[in-house]
Amino acid sequence: MGADVVVTGFGVRTAFGAGAPALRHGVFGGRPAFAPTSRFDTGPYRTPMAAAAPDGPSGTGSLRPELVACGAEALDMAGLPAGEAAVLVGAAGDYTTITHFWRSGDDVEGATAPYADAVPAVLAEAVADGLGLRGPRFAFTNACVASSAAIIHACRLIASGRIEVALCAGGYLVEEEVFAKFDSGRALARDGAVRPFSADRSGLLLGDGVAAVVLESAGHARSRGARPLSTVAGWGAASDAYHIARPHPDGAGLAAAARQALRRAGDPAGATIDYVNAHGTGTRHNDVAETRGLRSVFGARAGSVPVSSTKSTTGHLLEAAGVVEFVITMLALTDGVLPPTAGYTRPDPECDLDCVPHVARPADARRALTLNAAFGGANTALVLERP
Amino acid sequence: MMRLLAAAVAEPSARLAPLPGFVESPFSPLVFEACRRCLDAQLVDGARTAVVLCSLMGDTATADLASRRLVGGRVHNPLLFMQATANSVLGYLSREFGITGQQLSLSTLDDPLAETLAMADVLLDEPDLDRVLVVGVELAGGARVEAVRGELAGGAPSRSGAVQGDLAVAVLLGRDGGPAVPVPQARPGPPGSLRGLLDLARTTVGGTR
Repeated sequence: MGADVVVTGFGVRTAFGAGAPALRHGVFGGRPAFAPTSRFDTGPYRTPMAAAAPDGPSGTGSLRPELVACGAEALDMAGLPAGEAAVLVGAAGDYTTITHFWRSGDDVEGATAPYADAVPAVLAEAVADGLGLRGPRFAFTNACVASSAAIIHACRLIASGRIEVALCAGGYLVEEEVFAKFDSGRALARDGAVRPFSADRSGLLLGDGVAAVVLESAGHARSRGARPLSTVAGWGAASDAYHIARPHPDGAGLAAAARQALRRAGDPAGATIDYVNAHGTGTRHNDVAETRGLRSVFGARAGSVPVSSTKSTTGHLLEAAGVVEFVITMLALTDGVLPPTAGYTRPDPECDLDCVPHVARPADARRALTLNAAFGGANTALVLERP
Repeated sequence: MMRLLAAAVAEPSARLAPLPGFVESPFSPLVFEACRRCLDAQLVDGARTAVVLCSLMGDTATADLASRRLVGGRVHNPLLFMQATANSVLGYLSREFGITGQQLSLSTLDDPLAETLAMADVLLDEPDLDRVLVVGVELAGGARVEAVRGELAGGAPSRSGAVQGDLAVAVLLGRDGGPAVPVPQARPGPPGSLRGLLDLARTTVGGTR
């Protein structure tokens, strides 16, 4: 089985602000953060809506300092000094630098913008250097499973004894390049609301998200007297082998990833899972596929397992979705409160899950599953357990 | 110990087939071509195969084309949305070859050979996997990529600098069969250079082109 993997610290920022209190207010309060964004001219697009603070969650407006700040908060909470930790960052790079380059015309020689921040690995390097961490560092770039893939890789490295500590982070701040692409793909909800699992759901909206978690072996945490916030009991990843952008209609890859994670957690049937943080984008295809996948995993119990989509409040955080939702799931376990699916209007017979509509639900939850899926049919699953 | 089961190198040529649903950029066709040659040379059990794509800068052709359209006030082509992430071509690849193991995309400033071999070693310890297909890909890029390369080399943003050609290198790895993969040697070079992967592909099993 290898070493147990525990979480000892986190830092998180969304459109609600920084830290767990902001998540408790916004996500657990069922308050969608969507508003017309002033970050760029939304005139050419079908909707102006996003979950984006005017200059980013802490006012910097730039991905690099947000990632470093979250990493610093996570290390501080964990009580870890600079050291040999690996740094694994889920990010596609800072796209604003690309826009800036092409808007600058021929004036590149005099420009001061760090264009290299468009390179994902540069952000991982910046986090490692900024925090004095000397272990391996690189970026995961596989879209909406990027930061969950980073967490899974860290778990494998720790469980196998290759490393003792990893800082896993992820970040996306709403900007025009990606917004325009999602608009052209008609993926954005035109009416400004994200309604996962509802019959009238019409798409997703983007949101700001940056988070970092400290993972370490249980033995390492114990040896330095650190208190685990959560155990990562299982992890899994699988592909749909179906389409470049659409999920498998039966959620085949998502179910396979979940089964792997549950097997590793010693619970192949998922009987001990008290809550599922769904990928739940609010698109027509995703939510049906995810429902079918969950039904195949949980069988007859599927309808009674609470499943919520916190993208209904935070928006879709893309490369950061995995790590932010990991933190939200951890808070659900430690607080004993399940976050709701906001924006829910009416049932879709094809999404017949207990999706915790509107209002957070008190629950003595011990174990939870968090799921993510991405373009290309990439899927991840993580099982968290309250210590 | 890791073993090299197949290798292939893909570069732009008249014979490079376009991929349905992918436009303008050579990134995805090159990735698919290098991977296809490996998988045609060596049958794999798709359920027990993972794919690791490594690219420092990713599909810069798509990113820059989309950005120039945006700056020019033109509407995006939805196909650019579909191919905007490396996941898309991995999705196409996984469908064509029935690969249901994990797919990963990485960006590293270090030697992609060392990083991907380390990643493959971890994946091959997983009970569900016995093959890892590694593919490295970089595009020559245009003015912005040159400026980024200048910055990474320690200089200020610039429109001048050496440019490497479009290239994809794939190697299929496992624990059994094929020659042993040598321990990668530390090698100086520009960040993210595919030189190490290319040498492995060409010197160990010839690297079909």
